[in-house]
Amino acid sequence: MNSPHHSRWLYARRVAANAIAKSLGTVATLFGLFWLIWILWVTLEHGAAALKPGLFTQMTPPPGEDGGLANALFGSVIMSLLAILIGAPIGIAAGTYLAEFARRPAWRETIRFLNDILLSSPSIILGLFVYELLVRPAGHFSGWAGAVALALIVLPVVVRTTDEMLRLVPNAMREAALSLGIPQWKVTVQVLYRAALPGIVTGVLLALARISGETAPLLFTALNNQYWTNNLNAPTASIPVVIFQYAMSPYEAWHSLAWAGAFVVTMLVLVLSLVSRAILLRNRISHD
Amino acid sequence: MINDTIPPVAETEQLMNDVMPPVADAVLSGTVPAPIKIGVRHLDFFYKSFHALKDINLEVPEKRVTAIIGPSGCGKSTLLRVFNRIYAVYPGLKAQGEVILDGENILDPRYPLNRLRSKVGMVFQKPVPFPMSIHDNIAYGVRHHETLNRAEMDDRVEWALQQAALWDEVKDKLRQSGMSLSGGQQQRLCIARAVAVKPEVMLLDEPASALDPISTLKIEELIYELKKNYTIVIVTHNMQQAARVSDLTAFMYMGELVEFGDTNTIFTNPSKKQTEDYITGRYG
Repeated sequence: MNSPHHSRWLYARRVAANAIAKSLGTVATLFGLFWLIWILWVTLEHGAAALKPGLFTQMTPPPGEDGGLANALFGSVIMSLLAILIGAPIGIAAGTYLAEFARRPAWRETIRFLNDILLSSPSIILGLFVYELLVRPAGHFSGWAGAVALALIVLPVVVRTTDEMLRLVPNAMREAALSLGIPQWKVTVQVLYRAALPGIVTGVLLALARISGETAPLLFTALNNQYWTNNLNAPTASIPVVIFQYAMSPYEAWHSLAWAGAFVVTMLVLVLSLVSRAILLRNRISHD
Repeated sequence: MINDTIPPVAETEQLMNDVMPPVADAVLSGTVPAPIKIGVRHLDFFYKSFHALKDINLEVPEKRVTAIIGPSGCGKSTLLRVFNRIYAVYPGLKAQGEVILDGENILDPRYPLNRLRSKVGMVFQKPVPFPMSIHDNIAYGVRHHETLNRAEMDDRVEWALQQAALWDEVKDKLRQSGMSLSGGQQQRLCIARAVAVKPEVMLLDEPASALDPISTLKIEELIYELKKNYTIVIVTHNMQQAARVSDLTAFMYMGELVEFGDTNTIFTNPSKKQTEDYITGRYG
């Protein structure tokens, strides 16, 4: 069985299998990267060409007139920040409950499962839900409804990351703090949050990146607004909805603004991803 | 070192009351038996339905090092974790019986955890500095129990670091993260952190098993120093370490306390066959 000839053949086969697996993996990676880079390149090319000084000061124009995206940018920023303000604290509290305070495993796993369902539910469903909950009773679309719909997307992301980041904190740290006579809530807030903070912040930033591109839930809730509004009870413009509207139109000027909007959102997501990456990376180095 | 027979708790308390002031030197020199700090009576422990400790009876003398040895899974860490009720963090764990600390049963639910844990400090196998500066690692626990001004707190931090033989190495970088220290330094930081709240008992759960030999030596020298002021209970799987640092040794096997007595006797002339087998390396 173990003749030299046999083992040489075995070795050659392994080398071949290794080479095949390696090249298949490389090809798959290049295939994915190819599309990503193409999409980014087209967005940058058209978006950068569409950038102009008035983009951040002028309102979204009617067909045939000159304008910018100021009202849509403002609406997006306000609704996204509100969504984070609503979703992140509840998400952090719920994630903390799951990781630190829920003692019955069955109960804990049930909540985690339900949260995962919310996490993977299509965002258009969340939009419809908020439409039924807030828009229909009120009789009109509103910025508040948009913020709530986005908050429902933020919530499960933050619950999940907070839960996982707290569970990554070694039990020994919990025990060490508790063994000093410090009560559990203080240990959680003063020691465990500090250890898990970079991860939790990253979760919030990734949630922000995700909602900054969401269109479907806003179509049913905030809809759109051609004018600047500070009134969150009124329909509110947002970048993704404006991109949707303008890109589908027959007007060249609108297409150009849609490209500019896409460029701005892409840059924002890119920056948020890089920042959250940097936070996690820096932390990993300093902790080892 | 110490008398072979350890008087029961009641007698010892009487003795303590009778001869308290001059006793310290005599106790340290071994002419008088040390008073009992922790008395364990008929202690049973359950992980859900698993009977992890079976009718443990043990008396830990004050200002002595008591080592608990035994093979993995024998219940030595479980016993240690009863002494500050840290096991209560997890659901489904239950201790029955009595653990008497200074005359009070700490297993009584009315015994406040806050007080128990300020009297009984603990150091764990893996050094885990809190994610804060070296100074704050020490000050954090103190702040919870006492209100000190800045100068008093600085003094306390220095004192605790000196007790843990770490002061000279860190005095110029107290604002740096505790995570920046080496493993051995981190473990001494954890000892300083536990010492800072001025406990009376220190529980050490394999404090050197994650450290290199030089750091281990430092920890062992430290234990020798600390026993002048603290009652120390150490769990170790390293028998040489138990022989080096402890005055008394308890040998546990399968949840039972097989033999307990003077370390020299346990290691040179154990009375039970199981103890002898373990010490001579026949199992474990």
